[in-house]
Amino acid sequence: MPSNTASSSSAPAGSADSSASRTKSKRPKYSKFTQQELPACKPILTPGWVILTFLVISVIFIPLGVVSLFASQDVVEIVDRYDNDCVPTPARANKVAYIQGVSDKSCNRTLVVPKKMKQPIYVYYQLENFYQNHRRYVKSRSDSQLRSVKDENQIDACKPEDDVNGRPIVPCGLIAWSLFNDTYTLSKNNQPLTVNKRGIAWKSDREHKFGKNVFPKNFQEGNITGGGRLDANKSLSEQEDLIVWMRTAALPTFRKLYGKIESDLEKGDTIHVTLLNNYNTYSFDGKKKLVLSTTSWLGGKNDFLGIAYLTVGGICFFLALVFTIMYLVKPRRLGDPTYLSWNRVPGGGR
Amino acid sequence: MKRFVYINDDEASKELSCDNRISNTKYTLWNFLPKNLWEQFSRFMNQYFLLIACLQLWSLITPVNPASTWGPLIFIFAVSASKEAWDDYHRFLSDKKANEKEVWIVKQGIKKHIQAQEIQVGNIVWLRENDEVPCDLVLLGTSDPQGVCYVETAALDGETDLKTRVIPSACVGIDLELLHRMKGVLECPVPDKDIRRFDANMRLFPPFIDNDVCSLTIKNTLLQSCYLRNTEWACGVSVYTGNQTKLGMSRGIAEPKLTAMDAMIDKLTGAIFVFQIVVVMVLGVAGNVWKDTEARKQWYVQYPEKAPWYELLVIPLRFELLCSIMIPISIKVSLDLVKGLYAKFIEWDVEMVDQETGTASYAANTAISEDLGQVEYILTDKTGTLTDNKMIFRRCCIGGTFYGNENGDALKDAHLLSAITSGSTDVIRFLTVMAICNTVIPVRGKAGDIVYKAQSQDEEALVIAAARLHMVFVGKNANFLEIRLNGSTIRYEVLEILEFTSDRKRMSVVVKDCQDGKIILLSKGADESILPYACAGQQTRTITEAVEHYAQLGLRTLCLAWRELEEDEYLEWSVKFKEASSVLVDREWRIAEVCQKLEHDLYILGVTAIEDRLQDGVPETIEILRKAGINFWMLTGDKQNTAIQIALSCNFISPEPKGQLLLIDGKTEEDVSRSLERVLLTMRTTTSEPKDVAFVIDGWALEIAVKHYRKDFVELAILSRTAICCRVTPSQKAQLVEILKSCDYRTLAIGDGGNDVRMIQQADIGVGISGREGLQAARAADYSIGRFRFLKRLILVHGRYSYNRTAFLSQYSFYKSLLICFIQIFFSFISGVSGTSLFNSVSLMAYNVFYTSVPVLVSVIDKDLSEASVMQHPQILFYCQAGRLLNPSTFAGWFGRSLFHAIVVFVITIHAYANEKSEMEELGMVALSGCIWLQAFVVAQETNSFTVLQHLSIWGNLVGFYVINFLFSAIPSSGMYTIMFRLCSQPCYWITMFLIVGAGMGPIFALKYYRYTYRPSKINILQQAERTGGPILTLGNIETQPRTTLEEEVSPLSIITQPKNRSPVYEPLLSDSPNATRRSFGPTGTPLEFFQSQSRLSSSSSGYSRNCKDN
Repeated sequence: MPSNTASSSSAPAGSADSSASRTKSKRPKYSKFTQQELPACKPILTPGWVILTFLVISVIFIPLGVVSLFASQDVVEIVDRYDNDCVPTPARANKVAYIQGVSDKSCNRTLVVPKKMKQPIYVYYQLENFYQNHRRYVKSRSDSQLRSVKDENQIDACKPEDDVNGRPIVPCGLIAWSLFNDTYTLSKNNQPLTVNKRGIAWKSDREHKFGKNVFPKNFQEGNITGGGRLDANKSLSEQEDLIVWMRTAALPTFRKLYGKIESDLEKGDTIHVTLLNNYNTYSFDGKKKLVLSTTSWLGGKNDFLGIAYLTVGGICFFLALVFTIMYLVKPRRLGDPTYLSWNRVPGGGR
Repeated sequence: MKRFVYINDDEASKELSCDNRISNTKYTLWNFLPKNLWEQFSRFMNQYFLLIACLQLWSLITPVNPASTWGPLIFIFAVSASKEAWDDYHRFLSDKKANEKEVWIVKQGIKKHIQAQEIQVGNIVWLRENDEVPCDLVLLGTSDPQGVCYVETAALDGETDLKTRVIPSACVGIDLELLHRMKGVLECPVPDKDIRRFDANMRLFPPFIDNDVCSLTIKNTLLQSCYLRNTEWACGVSVYTGNQTKLGMSRGIAEPKLTAMDAMIDKLTGAIFVFQIVVVMVLGVAGNVWKDTEARKQWYVQYPEKAPWYELLVIPLRFELLCSIMIPISIKVSLDLVKGLYAKFIEWDVEMVDQETGTASYAANTAISEDLGQVEYILTDKTGTLTDNKMIFRRCCIGGTFYGNENGDALKDAHLLSAITSGSTDVIRFLTVMAICNTVIPVRGKAGDIVYKAQSQDEEALVIAAARLHMVFVGKNANFLEIRLNGSTIRYEVLEILEFTSDRKRMSVVVKDCQDGKIILLSKGADESILPYACAGQQTRTITEAVEHYAQLGLRTLCLAWRELEEDEYLEWSVKFKEASSVLVDREWRIAEVCQKLEHDLYILGVTAIEDRLQDGVPETIEILRKAGINFWMLTGDKQNTAIQIALSCNFISPEPKGQLLLIDGKTEEDVSRSLERVLLTMRTTTSEPKDVAFVIDGWALEIAVKHYRKDFVELAILSRTAICCRVTPSQKAQLVEILKSCDYRTLAIGDGGNDVRMIQQADIGVGISGREGLQAARAADYSIGRFRFLKRLILVHGRYSYNRTAFLSQYSFYKSLLICFIQIFFSFISGVSGTSLFNSVSLMAYNVFYTSVPVLVSVIDKDLSEASVMQHPQILFYCQAGRLLNPSTFAGWFGRSLFHAIVVFVITIHAYANEKSEMEELGMVALSGCIWLQAFVVAQETNSFTVLQHLSIWGNLVGFYVINFLFSAIPSSGMYTIMFRLCSQPCYWITMFLIVGAGMGPIFALKYYRYTYRPSKINILQQAERTGGPILTLGNIETQPRTTLEEEVSPLSIITQPKNRSPVYEPLLSDSPNATRRSFGPTGTPLEFFQSQSRLSSSSSGYSRNCKDN
């Protein structure tokens, strides 16, 4: 019995020890994060700060808007819509038949430079109501095929312009197939005006996306002809018109670079454009425009940013003003405990 | 159903061949993948994601690379699966450890050392001191000559005290050597999970003594996972092994609980899904119409003239895929992640560590923290929850004399001490009952002092008190008890123990005085289960009064009684008792019936009064939580008066004149009905009064009320903020929870004992107090805390923050997905409604997974108000309770915001990047960066407290966005090669970004400021108060506003028809609307004054006991 009692007394002690150590390890460690007590900055919306913020925003935005607007105003832009005018009057009843016909498509346009235009002057063609962003269209290309010769059979995505009688088309797909093919020849005051067509595509595209040793194959040889043809002897990386065209536009109205004029144009200069009106936009009432434009640091002529900045800045200024007036007319003490309904004497009026 | 176990006979037990391999794992190596996937795909959201992912495999309709959905989907599934696998692996490891533990068994008479998993049913297993029991055993022998051993059952039921186990009578005196060769058969029930019952019989084969059937009870067993203590060795035959043990059978997978917030998120998801379907149908039709009219003319698109039959479906399905991100795949992951963190914050909280025992809080359920912030009803147990469960004997009444009334401590009462020395019969008998009518085990400590190991706190208190009054219970040696009184030793032989059950509410022992051979029955129990059996001549009036008196002081009372038995009577009864004890079916009930036959004509000795002290901080906690608009119900098994006194002392109810107590009682249906009606009437008329009205109901009346007048009772439950339910059984507790839940209230049940387990499991949130009654409740609970006062922190701090954070996080997740989705929809209008995606696959995938999920995750440490402000103004919890921060109207706000932002981003992008700049990849990236900038500012604006982490994640994420995109832009083969470099070098890009931020955030900021200053919510006011450093103290009047503010717009009757009238968007509840003035309902009926009700209480309960006696 004595041994029994001895062991009995030791056992609970042991278990108590173990339980104590167990609970000690269970005790959570203290740190600012675990206690959710990280030092925090708790801003509140005091009238002063808010009004100041709006004032600051308007003070920044309004000048920015003015600067943007000026930048946009500095840009000289000549836009000439020719799709309608370049169809001879008798053919205008059925423009689609005309464009699909074989008659001479050349057309002459005269543009007058309204203001001095500094070089480089960009020549764009603008298409409207043309859905380069259509899902069927935008997916119909094969980037790997464009990049290297050995992938020329990767044409799965290109349907329905993937192959001709089993031979793969290079470049395949609807985008390439519908290549824009109007051409412009410019002359200034009866002197030929050089339009530099090199370097119009992105450098990265020329060097990495379109292979130097990939040549057009079986292009535009299917039953229906789409847009422009390609020189089978020039590698894709040199076909800059194609490269530009294949950078699909996200909007139904878009401009694509045709070339650059690397000389200044004076005010009053007349520019004669001889164009070949080949591209069919008539079946879907698409407009075609020729655009000559200089650029600013913000890009082409676009008043939107300037106006938007002025508007937002103005609204912010207005808000700052309104909040100031509200603050002066109807000041409200922040954090007044009397606003807490439970602090009121319940049933005071009873 | 029975099973037969043959001891030490491998052949005969073969049919039960079930080895002792424990397996808690959910999966095996082979079924893991299919089973896990099946489980994951049983949820609607996952099915939706899978469907979308499968549709994306159809390249004709997919707008983006399928990887943009498959990637995140596989990632999410991999995360959940590996979490499961990790848990399961750990279970496997712990199983393996248990399975490979070495044990001694006897096989064919030889002692062998084997692994625990090889134990077969029928093997004899040997245990040493402090060994863990490997499977369920029936005890055959112990080192103790009397066949007693002690076990610690903490792992099984959480009770830390030692329990005695004895060998069956048939095995008494078997020699150690013979034990090895023992043969026999056990007839036992099929495995079940009842750890309190084991109704079996044993028969030993010759040459072992006689051939008699020996009945077995739970007292003869050693259950798996218990520890052998204070006993050198023990051996037993294994009856249940492996997963068939009592422990193995009681393992169950708890039903997953869904929070109100999850339900709301599901609802909103559903709404978004419907919206998505509508968008898809509209765009699908529009797309098909556009295709047939416009697209045919667009020769370069080459639409075929003849299309396959499914052509009509292609465009709608494309839009379905395009819009599928409306339901963000990331919301599930983010929510799981933050919920896990909420639970961790609870466990990490040092302010919720019980300093006394060092136990931290524990969140067993990590998924329901938000619900804590939405609790409306708290149902609490009394003993051990509100009180300390440290019983101290304070007063007694012996034979009509009150002791301890003067100084509040009977142990120091001179009259009592002198009565003991003078040897007054009643007093000595009284003390004898106190000392030996129990199941306490005295253990001699090192220093020679005696430590009592008791299962019940009351018994321990009584024995200790008796010892202090010179009636020392010295030792227990098998059936012989030793009592020392004033130096002389008295020995008693225990003949029978008539155990305590919650139905009988009393326990008795039959002992034989070794000096004079008299057989005595000693009983103790609740007054209503003792007094009715008092002997005919005795006046129980003084006893009843004493009970009343003590109960009013909040003391727990026990009546002690005594009866001398005739030898014949005992012997005759003893046979019946033995018979009942060996019944296999309904044993408990049979025993109770037999016990009843002995327990009558009792001589009532007196009443003991035991104090159960309130826990620290209980009144404050209750007050704060009630101010927070939480209603308290107290459910206790205790007496009415005791319950009321405790309720008063812990601010549960207010004393007169502020409070009013309404009693519902009655023995018959009519009585209950009448009293229920009366209480209801009073309740209805006093809802407009700033008065604390509480009702009191006892178990019996409750039974009737719930059974026959459920509608009325439900109405009452809705009307009353406070209720006290006394004398309720565990199942009634659960029933009350269920009633409140059926009224759409969020309930929290808190308790500490085994009797609270059902209520805890039933409630929306179960909180267990890891207290002295064991860990049973804490195990079943979703949260376990050390003390009751931590509840306020659990609810007001953790619950509230969790709710706020999840509300922001979930709505924000929808906002950002809708934002990008709206842009896609707008874009489709300028891309021929053909379903082109403006964004590339990489961006779409990364948008949800990286770009937008990191900043919002840090909202888990956002705090709108400091903890101190919340504690000072607990009323602010109302915003969470009513679901003000996440409901259809707040969601509409976020929806509108995403629409507005989508318009801003889209309009600015397509105009700033028009004409020669309208390149697809560039435009897409501009729009995407616009979204990223906006979302960073939105998170910043919605953040209330900026810590380093917030700054890091919000602005770091913005930097990260550019870094990731620069990386992608450097890969020549990617679609966006050089795009980001080009954009970032253009001034136009940055100008556009500033414009988007300015135009997108300006109005929202202005609106927020306006509401913050001129239409502030209470949260805003407190924020302002807290941060301007102004006085945040409440005005002098901290009067609790009764819940009436909630319902005063509607007449009480309409509440009943529409319990969920508390629409979350219903503004004037807390606010200062002028029509929130109190309406008085005329004269308030006849308020039952507290005193009246008190006197009625006492008279009724004395009538009650008289009733019992007449029975």
